[in-house]
Amino acid sequence: MSSRVCRTCGGSDIDVDQARGSAVCTSCGSVLEDNIIVSEVQFVEGSGGVSSAVGQFVSADGPVKAPLLGSGFHTSVGKESRAQTLQGGKRQIQQLGSQLQLNQHCLDTAFNFFKMVVSKHLTRGRKTEHVIAACLYLVCRTEGTPHMLLDLSDLLQVNVYILGKTFLLLARELCINAPAIDPCLYIPRFAHMLEFGLKTHEVSMTALRLVQRMKRDWMHTGRRPSGLCGAALLVAARMHKFRRTVKDVIGVVKVCQTTLRKRLTEFEDTPTSQLTIDEFMRVDLEQECDPPSFIAAQHKAKMQQLEQELARKLDDVEGEISCYKDEIETELEKSRPKLRGIYAAYAKEIDPEDAEVLSTTSDPEEPEVEEDELQAAAQHLTQDFLCQVIQEEEGRGKKTDDREQEAGPDMEGVETQRQAAPLAAILGKLPSAASLGLQQTFEESETGEKPDDEQLEGGELDLDGIDDQEIDKYILNEREVQMKTELWMKQNADYLKEQKEKEERIKKEKEQGTYKEKPKKSRKKKEQMEASTAGEAIERMLEKKKISSKINYDVLRDLNSRGTGSGGGSSPSRASSDPPDINATTRKRVNRRRRKKASNANRDLAANASMMGKRVRLLISSTSKKKTSNQTENCVTMTTDTTTEEAAAEGTPDPEPYTNPTPAAPPTVLEEEEEEEDEVEEECVSALQLVGDYGCEEEEVF
Amino acid sequence: MDSSNDDALDIIITNVVATFRTRCHLNLRTIALEGINVIYKPELGKVLMKLRKPKITASIWSSGKIICTGATSEDEAKLGARRLARCLQKLGFKVRFSAFKVVNVLAVCSMPFAVHLIDFTKNNRPIASYEPELHPAAMYRIKHLKATVQVFSTGSVTVTGPNVQNVATAVEQIYPLLFECRKPLCKS
Repeated sequence: MSSRVCRTCGGSDIDVDQARGSAVCTSCGSVLEDNIIVSEVQFVEGSGGVSSAVGQFVSADGPVKAPLLGSGFHTSVGKESRAQTLQGGKRQIQQLGSQLQLNQHCLDTAFNFFKMVVSKHLTRGRKTEHVIAACLYLVCRTEGTPHMLLDLSDLLQVNVYILGKTFLLLARELCINAPAIDPCLYIPRFAHMLEFGLKTHEVSMTALRLVQRMKRDWMHTGRRPSGLCGAALLVAARMHKFRRTVKDVIGVVKVCQTTLRKRLTEFEDTPTSQLTIDEFMRVDLEQECDPPSFIAAQHKAKMQQLEQELARKLDDVEGEISCYKDEIETELEKSRPKLRGIYAAYAKEIDPEDAEVLSTTSDPEEPEVEEDELQAAAQHLTQDFLCQVIQEEEGRGKKTDDREQEAGPDMEGVETQRQAAPLAAILGKLPSAASLGLQQTFEESETGEKPDDEQLEGGELDLDGIDDQEIDKYILNEREVQMKTELWMKQNADYLKEQKEKEERIKKEKEQGTYKEKPKKSRKKKEQMEASTAGEAIERMLEKKKISSKINYDVLRDLNSRGTGSGGGSSPSRASSDPPDINATTRKRVNRRRRKKASNANRDLAANASMMGKRVRLLISSTSKKKTSNQTENCVTMTTDTTTEEAAAEGTPDPEPYTNPTPAAPPTVLEEEEEEEDEVEEECVSALQLVGDYGCEEEEVF
Repeated sequence: MDSSNDDALDIIITNVVATFRTRCHLNLRTIALEGINVIYKPELGKVLMKLRKPKITASIWSSGKIICTGATSEDEAKLGARRLARCLQKLGFKVRFSAFKVVNVLAVCSMPFAVHLIDFTKNNRPIASYEPELHPAAMYRIKHLKATVQVFSTGSVTVTGPNVQNVATAVEQIYPLLFECRKPLCKS
């Protein structure tokens, strides 16, 4: 505006009259501007005296370029619902960010990340909460703020690993390299929370030094940084004569006691821990340590080695011991008084017996398993008794002697000859022998029925390398099956009871006729409807089901009957044309909002398009005086009047996608200012009139 | 298997997971009651059967699908699977052995040096990722091999992949990358 200087006379005194909209030079009187464009809000009066502002709200995050007429429409319509998503996301980011005390710059960056995420469709299938938290954490990492993922999960009450998964995925998809977490970042924050007063800074510095030392000693790789910080702060506090207990620190740092103690012990193992406080502040040791887990592994390996060596040495020594032992025993034998009675029989058993005993147990041909078991049990029990008796009479050597004779099979009594061990060995041997016997009998009975190696057709089981006998061991015999059945029934009594009750319930319901099949997840295939016109298709669909409660289907049917003539051509063509991808999503979203159940997309499109077509047809028929049908292209005005938000969002996007893809038949859709979707449907007749009345105004409003 | 340097790097396969189908419906209750080493989980709808040799645990579903885990080599997995099928055959089901496939192989390998994880992740972004708050190891995914390598700071490396060959290739691929960010262990 050249309101500063007049063009004719050069005078700078210019009078701008807002009322008349003119700028006049007061010196020479020349009119500089006429019909000045004002940027004020205008009001119009609606029906019933309601005055409303003229204009449309353009969101700050909306389309960058002005919505173009005609072709540009579908994109801006698509972004409308997108804009809603972004708006909602922004709100949540602000909320969460303020709880974390992030500054505005961070929140804006987070919002930018969110926008990127939405444009890459990564929000699908994920809770917006999680996505927002991940975006915020991404910002925290890139900016280097001392916020942990744990803080976010605390706020949201979500498992930290779930958040971590989302975060990792977003970082990968957005190709954002989040710098690694440095524990040094957290020190000031934790120090502040521990309330060191004036000396907070000094304590922080000391703690920082400690952390750096820990880093050099390889204590920080693979560990949570908060644990390290906790340990460092604890030590630093103590160094500066503050009394902070482990409990205080873990409350602030959010690790558990064990972790903290472990870090402290690890630090203790490093050579730095040996320095005094002054030395530590001054000197930095050159040597770096190995990571503590590696040291632990080495330690374990060493212990194992030592044990092996010891075992070997033991073996050597045992040899010596056993010969001494034999000598002692023979001596004792000689000096032992003779036993009488039943004990004599046992006492006479000497080494040849051992061999026999060994052979009998190794040869498991026990025809009747049970009897043998009983015998063996009786034997062992008496041996037990014997041992005790003899022990009281004689010395230890006696005991070992007896044990060696009776417990023939368990000749591993070379080691420390304590009473408990061999007895346990004896008793332990019993079940194994029994099971061996069992297996043997089972095998014998099985040999009769053992099937030949069958080759089954298709999916043959190749049997080499399979030891059938061994496999047979895996199968129980009759009696065992019975026992197992009993056991299992008892164990799972609750579950079986539940199942029975359920069955009874189902039976009862079946009798009553109220039996409801458990809803199956597989969707039934909807039969393709064949209809010559879209109108017919709608009829059929409406007959089948009522989709929305907000739509007055009767009126809809009336519409159909009215506009079959002109609209019949246009709507099928629209229905058949494949919508461009940009619209597909918006359409589906719109559909989802309208309909509660998911239905066949095509049918919906057909129905929708035809419904739109109806509306269009109506408008065309009503405004036919103004415009010719089908051929003329008129402006499609889009009112994004958000006085009634949802209606606008829901209603306005609808006609747009349908009008654009068909250049051949560009119906003009003049959007009424809809208050409610249902109202539009119900009062279609009156809406017609509305449209007719407001036709001009619609065009103006832009 | 040797890697591309002088000393041999021992790759120890710790687990092989395989699946196969018996193409027939199995009655889990029968298996549970007549098998000697089975655990029946009716809530989950499967039976766990453990074989002693080869040491294998199998999850058996009533549809006939069976998953075998715990083997230490691909051949062992196949042997174990066949034994299992034979065992089921003996219990009286018309078992066919079909669609045997090794699904996952887990191997462990130990480098003779420690690895600086932060440098490693920096050099190999975005294929490598390291989140100390979540997991102590850095994860490196090799897309074309479909293998995942987890690198720990002590130098031990865990590789999971669809078969043994891939796993070996993955180790060979990752060795030079690890070698760059190594830290020689001070033998104390």
